[in-house]
Amino acid sequence: MSKYFRELTVAAALGLLMASLAIFAPHFFQWQPFISRLTSQMPALAAAIGIALVIISRQIDISIGSQFGMCAIIAGVTAASGLPLGVAIFAAIGAGAAMGALNGVLVAYLGLPSIVVTLATMVTWQEALRLWQQGRLLNLPAGIQWFGLSQPTGQAIVISLAFVLLVGAAWGMKNLAAGRFIHATGTDAEAARLAGIDPRHTTFAVFVLMGGLAGLAAVLNLVQSPQVQPNCGDGLELKAIAAAVVGGVAISGGRGTLWGVLLGMLLLANVNPALTHFHQPPYWEKAIQGLVILLAVVADGIRSRKTKI
Amino acid sequence: MSSTRSFSIKSLLARHETVLVLVILLEVLLFQTLGKNFLVGKNLSNVFRHSVEIGLLAVAMTPVILTGGIDLSVGSMMGLCAVLFGMMVNRFGLPPYLAGLVAVLFGALGGGMNAVLITRLNLPPLIVTLGTFSLFRGLAEALTKGAESYSGFPKSFLALGNADLAGLPAQIWVFFAVAAAIWLMVHQTTLGRSFRAIGYASEGARYAGIPVARNTSLAYIIAGAVAGLAAVILVARLGEARANAGIGYELLAITAVVLGGVSIFGGSGTVAGTLLGWIALAILNNGLTRISDYRIMDQPVASVARELSGLLTGLLLLAALAIGATMKALAIRRARKQSLSKTTPNPAIS
Repeated sequence: MSKYFRELTVAAALGLLMASLAIFAPHFFQWQPFISRLTSQMPALAAAIGIALVIISRQIDISIGSQFGMCAIIAGVTAASGLPLGVAIFAAIGAGAAMGALNGVLVAYLGLPSIVVTLATMVTWQEALRLWQQGRLLNLPAGIQWFGLSQPTGQAIVISLAFVLLVGAAWGMKNLAAGRFIHATGTDAEAARLAGIDPRHTTFAVFVLMGGLAGLAAVLNLVQSPQVQPNCGDGLELKAIAAAVVGGVAISGGRGTLWGVLLGMLLLANVNPALTHFHQPPYWEKAIQGLVILLAVVADGIRSRKTKI
Repeated sequence: MSSTRSFSIKSLLARHETVLVLVILLEVLLFQTLGKNFLVGKNLSNVFRHSVEIGLLAVAMTPVILTGGIDLSVGSMMGLCAVLFGMMVNRFGLPPYLAGLVAVLFGALGGGMNAVLITRLNLPPLIVTLGTFSLFRGLAEALTKGAESYSGFPKSFLALGNADLAGLPAQIWVFFAVAAAIWLMVHQTTLGRSFRAIGYASEGARYAGIPVARNTSLAYIIAGAVAGLAAVILVARLGEARANAGIGYELLAITAVVLGGVSIFGGSGTVAGTLLGWIALAILNNGLTRISDYRIMDQPVASVARELSGLLTGLLLLAALAIGATMKALAIRRARKQSLSKTTPNPAIS
């Protein structure tokens, strides 16, 4: 019970939000808008799964918004040049993994702090993209939207892809050696090393995986609209980190479940729609999100203090 | 065989500031040759007028990073203080200088909030200030309903951002005062020494009797107060207070500090280094806007100067980090070799 205290608390908060919406604003649950909203949250979920793994291994990556934008434009340009959708998807994920590998080399093998490394790569990719695209809106060929299928089918594919990813990653973190390596590295890198795990290789792999997931997230986003903007990834890093932290992933590494991340994601993502449905002005969104993050870390701080004493 | 090489690396490391001065001279030379009207009095004063806010944040960020912490919330704090300042002057008719004082105090209060969460609850600075980064910006947006802005400030106040005083931009004098105060604090007082001690080994500092929580708190409170001051100066320069004031400034400030040779792990670095890092960035930013004869990606350099300088800043930071880390690894390896040969009389081991 107490082991999953955080996940249960967030689930309760989400349940409370949904229940009050069901009572006071039942049109929130109209099927089509509800599904559309859920679909639009899936790219951020994919990114949040990646960032959760990064945080569990006791690192951070704030460059994922820039990676996401870069991957989206690379996929868009590839598709617009007439290549098939599969190639575009492959290009996005490959580009993401390559950008993640750069972060990984600097953090894992040169021992640099991930916050500064990813700060530098964030600025670099973001400005490179601006220089390349000059803020132009990129029109996508017709076959891209919803994978060239109907909207309901496309939405079903996006949602099921994200959930397959979530279930697979959650299972892997518990049952695969690689998942345990990530937990071990984040709990105590030196102990992991003495146990025969190379924390450097693990950290490097986590960053590559994060980049690949940022690429996948970009694809899940790309198929939802007829155009793509170079700044589509702005603020994604904060959304993803907030979802992970609120969902109970400890920023000090080693602890967290991906189910918690899902709950945190849904809770934060529904702040804005809930404000709208309760007829409240939407510009409180960022302040509320910041407050929720702070509440989550303060709760962590107080709990760890109690357990120490 | 490595004695001469290690000597040159060592002296290079010891003089991080010299390298930066060379970089700055190189920049000046480059922009003077390629650009138009770079080394002209009016342009030079613009270089500094437009980057005083980032300089203030960078100087105040230095003690925070020296203690091994980080403050991501200063840019958002600027937005919140700018909005509060605008409201106080515009809606409640407070005189600008009184409102400015209140904005600085409010900044200190926000810094105090970071400090309490970091030092009393032992939470990581990165995640606390990420939370307040979102909270402060969100409050600024909520207060202005996402769209309102405040303008129509008295001329005497706008002079702070646009007039000259004794031949230099007026706000430069404020910057000099703040930079001198922080230099004195960091390099001439026991408080400043304690920042480095805390960053080097906070547990060790505690055993040495340093009030770690109190001194660390002070660094965050000063960072918040200076962010409030930077907000007032920005409003005076632009003549308008909006919720988006200072977006991304925290990144530029941190870049200047790291470029200036302050260790991101805490424990070592100088205010002079930060100042040089800031000057290098400011010149890069301005110099590119002076180049109109050369083209990049089919555009004159001047018209894409913002993106280009951002890109170069990122690459510069990456290079500085990678070089710093390699140097450190080399130094550690050398030190290990030396201590091994000193302490072990058995020649077979060394």
